[in-house]
Amino acid sequence: MRTSLLIIAVLLGWSLPTSAQLRIQGGNVTISITTGLPGPIPPSATVSTTGLRWRQETVDTKITISTICPGQKFTLRAVATGITGGGTPAPEVTLQEGMPATDFIVDIPPRRPNNGRCTVRYTAVATFEQGNSLELGDDFHTITYTLVAQ
Amino acid sequence: MTTMLGFPMNLQASLVSSAGAFLAISILCPSRALPQTFDSDAHTVRVSVLPISVVSLSSGTINLDMSLGLIVPGQDQMTVDDQSTTLTWGTNSSSSKITASTSLAAPLFDLRIVAVNPTQGTAGPEFSLTPAAQDLLLSLGRSSGSCLLRYTGVALASQGSGTDLHVITFTVQAQ
Repeated sequence: MRTSLLIIAVLLGWSLPTSAQLRIQGGNVTISITTGLPGPIPPSATVSTTGLRWRQETVDTKITISTICPGQKFTLRAVATGITGGGTPAPEVTLQEGMPATDFIVDIPPRRPNNGRCTVRYTAVATFEQGNSLELGDDFHTITYTLVAQ
Repeated sequence: MTTMLGFPMNLQASLVSSAGAFLAISILCPSRALPQTFDSDAHTVRVSVLPISVVSLSSGTINLDMSLGLIVPGQDQMTVDDQSTTLTWGTNSSSSKITASTSLAAPLFDLRIVAVNPTQGTAGPEFSLTPAAQDLLLSLGRSSGSCLLRYTGVALASQGSGTDLHVITFTVQAQ
């Protein structure tokens, strides 16, 4: 019984809040699709001006991504590149209104107090059938990155 | 040696240990269902799409030759067709059409064009190419698609011989 209580106490100790941090660098982003070619490849544009910086914890962690974009009209994808400090980028995530938090970087090792960094590459895609902003308006995504225990 | 439950003592110890493990697991379950969140941050990404209309052709040059073989005794008019060119377009505006025009203001012979089997929209009627843009495809909407172009050269034997050189321009524009 003592052993069991000790296990529970240790487990509860792991659940205590820590001073972990995750920060987006580069501020807000605007992606403009201005050109395209006739044929099967839809017009697109890519921006890599956003970075993430996080503090590595005492346990394995991961970073998830989610978005809120009411009335979304166009396609937006995100992928992590150039990760430092450990971790594996998830496959490129297609961001859709109402989506659950989805893995963005996984297997971040416990190396506190080291920091990890990456660049976020956003790619916007709009097929000709999806229309244009002059007629339909822009899409505004509120994108949230979350550092969680894995 | 047996206990009140009738199990051997070593087996009873094993059961207690198992009960302890079960208790720990039942407490752990909520934290596994909701992984510990360390921190989060958010920003805004704005996606803007300009009106885009593009068009391309599968070939650069078409030759329509009126050879002697096309002359029918007793008939003045000769015609020759070509349907080897594919027109491909894309437009993200809701109301679009494609027009065609030629650079040649005073041709010797008549050159006609019509869109064949468009994957989107409606083909306009066949027309003779002039410097003024005329409707080739209508009601494209927001679409990407393709069609064949059928050129027909028309000459009268009585017009004699000669060569016309057309530079034909296709334009996606608002309908």
